[in-house]
Amino acid sequence: MAKILVVEDDRDLNKAYCIILRHEGHDVVAAFDGKEALVKLSEIKPDLVLLDLLMPVMGGLEFLKAWADHKKNDAKILLFTNMENSPEISEAYKLGASRCIIKSWTAPHNLAKVVNDTLKSDSFKKIKSRPKVQKV
Amino acid sequence: MNQANLKLSQQKSIRKSKEADALFNSIGEGAITTDEFGRITRVNKPALKMLGFHKSELIGQPFLKLVIAEDFDGKVIGTIDRPIVQAFLTGQSILTKLNYRTKKGTLLPVDISISPLMLNNRPVGAIEVFRDISLEQEIDRMKSEFISLASHQLRTPLSAIKTYSHMLRDGYMGKLNKHQKSSLDTIIGATNRMNELISTLLNISRIESGTINVTLKKNNIEKVIKEIIPELTLIADAKAIEFKLVSTSTESLEIVTDALIVKEIVTNLVSNAIKYTEANGKVCLTIAPRKQDILLKIKDSGWGIPEIARDKVFTKFYRGSNIVSKETNGTGLGLYLVKGLIEAINGKIWFKSVEKKGTTFYVSLPRELDLK
Repeated sequence: MAKILVVEDDRDLNKAYCIILRHEGHDVVAAFDGKEALVKLSEIKPDLVLLDLLMPVMGGLEFLKAWADHKKNDAKILLFTNMENSPEISEAYKLGASRCIIKSWTAPHNLAKVVNDTLKSDSFKKIKSRPKVQKV
Repeated sequence: MNQANLKLSQQKSIRKSKEADALFNSIGEGAITTDEFGRITRVNKPALKMLGFHKSELIGQPFLKLVIAEDFDGKVIGTIDRPIVQAFLTGQSILTKLNYRTKKGTLLPVDISISPLMLNNRPVGAIEVFRDISLEQEIDRMKSEFISLASHQLRTPLSAIKTYSHMLRDGYMGKLNKHQKSSLDTIIGATNRMNELISTLLNISRIESGTINVTLKKNNIEKVIKEIIPELTLIADAKAIEFKLVSTSTESLEIVTDALIVKEIVTNLVSNAIKYTEANGKVCLTIAPRKQDILLKIKDSGWGIPEIARDKVFTKFYRGSNIVSKETNGTGLGLYLVKGLIEAINGKIWFKSVEKKGTTFYVSLPRELDLK
């Protein structure tokens, strides 16, 4: 089980991602813009942040800049956006994002798979049991 | 020459000069002429209006010092690089776009055409005609903004429909019967097609309106392509197609290009290969760097392209007769889009195909992209 912070301004989508990831056995906290995410980042110290780019108050890129400045923890950043082929995605990679997934192309089981794979990659050791991955 | 002839000749000369003045002033766009020392010899009303000067402030003055030119990144263009100097030095006409600083200090984007004035094969000055393109630039900016916003805004509700349909089908909200599941599959299929259509139309709109952004940067081609492999693997897995990436890297993998456009091209070609290959088939993407370029090969074991269709595959809305009945969800826009994207980064595309055995698409990307 990992701690995941879902940062998505669309309330319907935010709720859906939380349901999917809780279903996978993760501990999930929701934030609706970058500013709120920064506060929750300090509080819960997540292992992974599922981050939208275009949000009111503070967007994903501004959040990443602030995150890089403070280096509040070593959370992995998984971009989850609909801004396909945008320069913002390259910018986000430079700012430390590990991976980018296009929302409207991604089914829930794929979201769960990508989250679990990202958590498992590199030095991440906290997953106790790897959740079952469902084939399409 | 007697006095009468001299008078007639003078009158003719005055008349010609007046005709030239009238012609010069009737040009609807800004026009300025300079002598061989770069001093302004003539300037018309539209030019005075656009630049905000009085005629008396310009005539006889050095054009290069009085009217500052900048590129679109805000850098002042040095004397030797000014198009009017280049036209004078090379004796060639020049067409270009730049910003002029007006007398008030505001920036004026202009499209300019410069021709050297030649006398006995020697340049004795130049004529520059320019027009204000600020409105065009504003329209281009608005088009790009609209495309980007439309892309995001059209997709957000679609993401919600797709996510919740999947959640319902996968039993997140309780168990469903076979009929209910199949209905949800129909909804999911339709949202996927809608998504595909939005992506394609937005990209085509970018290419056709000339608002496609080409950002050049030194990249490692393997690294760029590896970023899209997870998504492509998901698409291949969904159809039980064996998808692999092969890299034959004896030559350098370095390339100066637009990574986003390359990703879009590869994504389109690989998804196309998966789409037109039967379940349990194979798709292989090979990165084969060569001295002069980077060659990408996308090979599938699919249905192939019939001989009769080979010169039409890159045409808008064209779909092969052999696949229309097998795969009904195509738009006929994918390869048209790919070709447009490849041309935007000066690449080339071609293919070899054997019907019922498969197709290999080849993409050649130049190592150094010079868009000038």
